[in-house]
Amino acid sequence: MSITEKPWYPLAYMFAVTAVFSGVLIGFSALTQDRVDRNEQIFLQRAILIATGAAAENTPGEEISRIFNERVEPAEKDGIVEYRLKTLDGRLQAIGVPFEGQGYWDQIRGVLGVNADRKTVTGIAFYQQNETPGLGGEIVTQQWRSQFPGKTIAVGDQPLRILQAGQTVGDNAVQAVTGATQTSVRLERMLNEDLRTWQTAFTGEGQ
Amino acid sequence: MNGSSQSTSSASLMMRGLWYENAIVRQVLGICSTLAVTNRVLNTVVMCAALVVTTALSSWTVSLMRRATPRSIRMMVETLIIAFYVILFDRFLRAYWPDMSRQLGPYVGLIITNCIILGRIEAFANSNPPLPSLVDGVANGLGYTLVLLIVATVREAMGMGTFMGLALPLFSGPLWDRWILLVMPPGAFFTLALVIWGFRSIGMMRREET
Amino acid sequence: MDDGSTMLNILVITFSAVFTSNILLTLFLGLCPFIAVSRELKTAAGMGGAVIFVLFCTTLLNWMIYHWILVPRELESLRFIVFIVTIAAFVQFVEMILDRYSPTLYQGLGIFLPLITVNCAILGASLFMIIRDYTLLETVGWGLGSGVGWAMAIVAMAGIRSRLANSRIPKGLQGPGITLIIAGFMALAFIGFTGIFQATR
Repeated sequence: MSITEKPWYPLAYMFAVTAVFSGVLIGFSALTQDRVDRNEQIFLQRAILIATGAAAENTPGEEISRIFNERVEPAEKDGIVEYRLKTLDGRLQAIGVPFEGQGYWDQIRGVLGVNADRKTVTGIAFYQQNETPGLGGEIVTQQWRSQFPGKTIAVGDQPLRILQAGQTVGDNAVQAVTGATQTSVRLERMLNEDLRTWQTAFTGEGQ
Repeated sequence: MNGSSQSTSSASLMMRGLWYENAIVRQVLGICSTLAVTNRVLNTVVMCAALVVTTALSSWTVSLMRRATPRSIRMMVETLIIAFYVILFDRFLRAYWPDMSRQLGPYVGLIITNCIILGRIEAFANSNPPLPSLVDGVANGLGYTLVLLIVATVREAMGMGTFMGLALPLFSGPLWDRWILLVMPPGAFFTLALVIWGFRSIGMMRREET
Repeated sequence: MDDGSTMLNILVITFSAVFTSNILLTLFLGLCPFIAVSRELKTAAGMGGAVIFVLFCTTLLNWMIYHWILVPRELESLRFIVFIVTIAAFVQFVEMILDRYSPTLYQGLGIFLPLITVNCAILGASLFMIIRDYTLLETVGWGLGSGVGWAMAIVAMAGIRSRLANSRIPKGLQGPGITLIIAGFMALAFIGFTGIFQATR
């Protein structure tokens, strides 16, 4: 009988086919592993740099990695991490405070940038969100985010506020996206929670 | 569908895949993996490209191997081949277009279970030569793409006023109040239902005329 | 940042999987059997029950395989294939057990099991669990919630469709067309559930 009718054929065939295809896959994965790892890191790095003002919006990935490795240093205390941006001669310029929480549809992750005085906001950037495009999704637009630079973080219960239209916007508040109540409420909550824990961990830190 | 008695010329295969036997309109197959991303045209294009490439190459590969593959493990081998191409595509995206990969999330991986690919393999690629199988895969993939692109265009244009991220003349102006509902899940269901209704009505009218 | 999974976290995940982020009406997974098997209440309930069981068990199984076998060996890229094989094997296994020990249950549930293997909701649930980086306990909530959410949706759909059986539906809309429209309204209704979270905080 021909080879395809031998009893051991199906097993051997399955084995061979699996080996060949898996082999190609693993090979390709290994080849691209470096790129994939770097891409993962670049998401967070880009957010940190944009929030602290160290990089412009459309900076290519390589550039982001370079600037990050040159000037940013993570610091940890009590389990809370902050990312310190140093000036070219080594002084502290700004700090990136990561935050995350449940948005309306899915997780929101981002970085809030603060000056070396730990009070003045330098900017905000998101690296993960899946909010409704056109509504909650507007939080990633430059227009909405441009409200943040210059604001101050208050001490106490609500360091930063996101207010609905009609309310007067003070020094520690920005205006919410019209119609995106859920996203705004949740974003405000996660920002304040993470800002408070950050403030507690790093109180009294020097310049 | 009985593949052996109908003409397998490329032209007729393309027409069948695209229109007469359009997988979505006729059987509403395989929408799960893509419907979620149809709120943006660009994402839909990438997903559908993944599907066309996977269907075509899987059909082609299965057809190449059809004489050597034993009947008993046929389905497992087919699934393996489909998974192979999908994972390759997913990996490629993660390495060279990470933003898009993030936006598409797990939906690229779900192409593996997409009923269209297995459907085409079982109905055609298993019993036809490689080149027609490739064309058949492309044709069905494109038919799928056609329907979903219409859905995505409606959703993005009327829901956000843009097309591929670029603002449209009428829809992004002050005269049009964006129908946000269209970019949320219910909008996907409604739009697809209406598109299917449209296609089927046209098809039925055509058939009545002949 | 909070530490790992608290009880509230798990409850939120479970609740949102059933209501606000329903695997079928919001994440669009498992649509093919949803449209095909939602004609009658009885078959829908059978399918729903089978999905709850398989989804719950396979997400847990896949979590363990992923975190205890694949990750330590840096083989994450094989997760698609491994998950599919696990699901297929699990379903096969359940079929065998049912066939041997409970022929009546096998008769009732049996036809659905092979169909479940190609139900993208099962694979999708496992993939989402990895992407969202759930802990084991959170996966319990996620698997249970997703399964129940899917089952609820299909049973509700069957209930509605059986009422529509005598209505005059335009020809082009019959079958999948009207099902999709009903699904759209259901998705709309489920969006209302987000109010639950506002109330709990």
